[in-house]
Amino acid sequence: MPDRAQFLADIQNQNADVRFAAWRAAGDQEADVIAELGKLIAGPSPGISKAANEALTTLVHSVGKDPASPKRPQIVKELLDLANSAGPLAARIHAFRLLSLAAGEDSVPAIAKSIQQAEVQEEVVFCLERIPGNASIKALLAAYPNAAAGFKPRILAALGHRRAAEGLPMVLSAMRSSDKEIAMAATKAFGRIGRKPAQPPQFPPTAGLTGWQKIDFMDSRLRYADAQVAAGNHAEAMKVYKEALDRPEEHWQCAAIIGIARMGTPEAATAIFPKLKSADSKVRITAQNAWKSMAGA
Amino acid sequence: MKTVRRNFIKSAGGAAGAFLFDIVPARALGLQGQPPPSDTLNFGHIGIGGRGRQFLRPEADLGKEVKASPNLGGDGSRVLRPARSMALCDVDVKRLDEAATRVGGRPKLYKDFRRLLEDKDVDAVFIASPDHWHALMTIMACQAGKDVYVEKPACNTIEEGRAMVTAAERYGRVVQVGSQGRSQPSAWQAATYIRNGQIGMVRKVLCWHYASPDGDWTPDTDPPPGLDYEMWVGPARWIPYNQKRTHGAFRWMIDFGGGQIRDRGAHVMSIANWIMNCDHTGPASIEASGEPPHDGMYDSGVTMNVIYEFKNPDWTLIWAQPGVPSAEIEARYGAVYWGDTGHLTVTLGDGQGTDTDPKAKQYQAPYEGVRVFRSPGHGENFEDCIRTREKPIMHMEAAHRVASLCILGNIAFKLRRKLEWDPVNERVLNDDEANRMLSQPGRGPWHL
Repeated sequence: MPDRAQFLADIQNQNADVRFAAWRAAGDQEADVIAELGKLIAGPSPGISKAANEALTTLVHSVGKDPASPKRPQIVKELLDLANSAGPLAARIHAFRLLSLAAGEDSVPAIAKSIQQAEVQEEVVFCLERIPGNASIKALLAAYPNAAAGFKPRILAALGHRRAAEGLPMVLSAMRSSDKEIAMAATKAFGRIGRKPAQPPQFPPTAGLTGWQKIDFMDSRLRYADAQVAAGNHAEAMKVYKEALDRPEEHWQCAAIIGIARMGTPEAATAIFPKLKSADSKVRITAQNAWKSMAGA
Repeated sequence: MKTVRRNFIKSAGGAAGAFLFDIVPARALGLQGQPPPSDTLNFGHIGIGGRGRQFLRPEADLGKEVKASPNLGGDGSRVLRPARSMALCDVDVKRLDEAATRVGGRPKLYKDFRRLLEDKDVDAVFIASPDHWHALMTIMACQAGKDVYVEKPACNTIEEGRAMVTAAERYGRVVQVGSQGRSQPSAWQAATYIRNGQIGMVRKVLCWHYASPDGDWTPDTDPPPGLDYEMWVGPARWIPYNQKRTHGAFRWMIDFGGGQIRDRGAHVMSIANWIMNCDHTGPASIEASGEPPHDGMYDSGVTMNVIYEFKNPDWTLIWAQPGVPSAEIEARYGAVYWGDTGHLTVTLGDGQGTDTDPKAKQYQAPYEGVRVFRSPGHGENFEDCIRTREKPIMHMEAAHRVASLCILGNIAFKLRRKLEWDPVNERVLNDDEANRMLSQPGRGPWHL
């Protein structure tokens, strides 16, 4: 293993093959090289910048397999220092991206510290989304009230992506926002979380939605209904599906038929039956296939 | 906002000179012996650069007997359904303008694919954007009720692929993924030959492919006028514009293209998965070696050797770039299937065609033998399924499983560790970091 000084010299060598050999073996280095590599990432030479970038990545990969790896806490700590430093933005961004691969729940508060900084907040949320466990969900929820209106949809999307049931109350509240973008982002998160709330949700009025938002709106409702079927809440799902069945859009009818068929109940068969004679061939064939699948079940 | 071509050309400063008719042509009304509109498929096209251009259906061809281009698969004997490319979308106005000229007539032009998807007149879409957009565009097309032909590889992450499967199933949409080798006659002959036991139990499939480029350094610049680079990056992690990372060259970046294994691997290993009946499962372990670029802008493997071990039945798939080419058929890439009693070569598997050994071409399966579905051609199969609502030959689950091989190969290559894979739950069993790499949260407003 080359010593620290030799390693850093090799990373800055003019010969690309020497740099390559150094960054490929960077997993042998200790965490204290991270700050130095961070400085090199933003340097003027693209080859050295790449070598530093790859060396950091390799170092993280060397402890990524096992969360209990003894070297991992030091590497995460150094990455946190780099991410939250006043150093070059490129290095900070790379640190956040690497933290998404190695940081544990105990690092979440330090990562979330930068969430209100416009220049890195996208990377912070990306990082939090990837860290397993509830700590990152809690950090997203804590950040939401103070987030700029333009960034609230991003946090809501992260909660939806994580299927964060703990976020449901906040999501339900955001669905009532007068800001259409926030209300729609919350509606999408609601569909993805897929949990039945204690009280019926108040959806944003569809009248003011754009064409695509209307598509997203119904998609979110159908996702929610599908989740209810999976959870055994057939009655709740059927309310959404029946609404979709009554819409003129054939694909919403098809989605409802497919969802209803998964219930496999007499009520499901009754709901699908009229669609067996639909004038729309896509709806008709979908209903016929659903009918067969229920008969087979 | 929808942009009609007249305004579009004016605002974009694009090539002028295309005369625009304000009168609906007779063929659009089904007059003068032309096929009536009810029988005509209305296609939308998202991403109309290199590959996307080849899906266009010029207005002038409406009413003529049109056959699929050879690189769409099949033997080219069948006439396609009447179709028009009625809506075009690209983030690069230059490409959009070129495609509009090629199509002729009055296609609707869009820079934002969501506007195209909102268009209720569009029956189906061809998606040939860079790979990092395939998943979201396909999912959103399903949401909008469109059937989809999306280029390979299906997706960039395991999570994306599973979400695509779910979306296609939720809406009952036909999604054909562009690994067209399965629709080519030689692939069918090889599948019939092998599945009927002509080389015994297959134990090993050895793929070969030439290496990826290692790239050089080209300075970042501002994007060219007319390219909406913010939209081009879309859900991927932000990176400054560089011409060597965008049109035609995105392939060599893991975040955008994934290298040879995700490009041609999605062809060669698609045929392997099909022949080996693995369209609904995956390997038990993945181990990779090789070298990334020593220098330059790219980050995908230059040389790679990926070993996939499958269980029940036990067999090994090896992706090697470069590997050992077939001794029987000369080709730049392909695979040799090694069985207990013999072996068979299947080459290429993409738009350049597929070839196999004469013994497979001459083979006739016995009446009681294994029957393998014979696609009439990839495009033709897509059209058939739009009508019948059946799953196409490269349906979304199959495509997701092929893409999974490519993605897992890249992850194992990056981490330089052997991964134990659970193909049912789609999780890595022995590696925390690898599991995190199965998903990549979207950027800004772009989320699964």
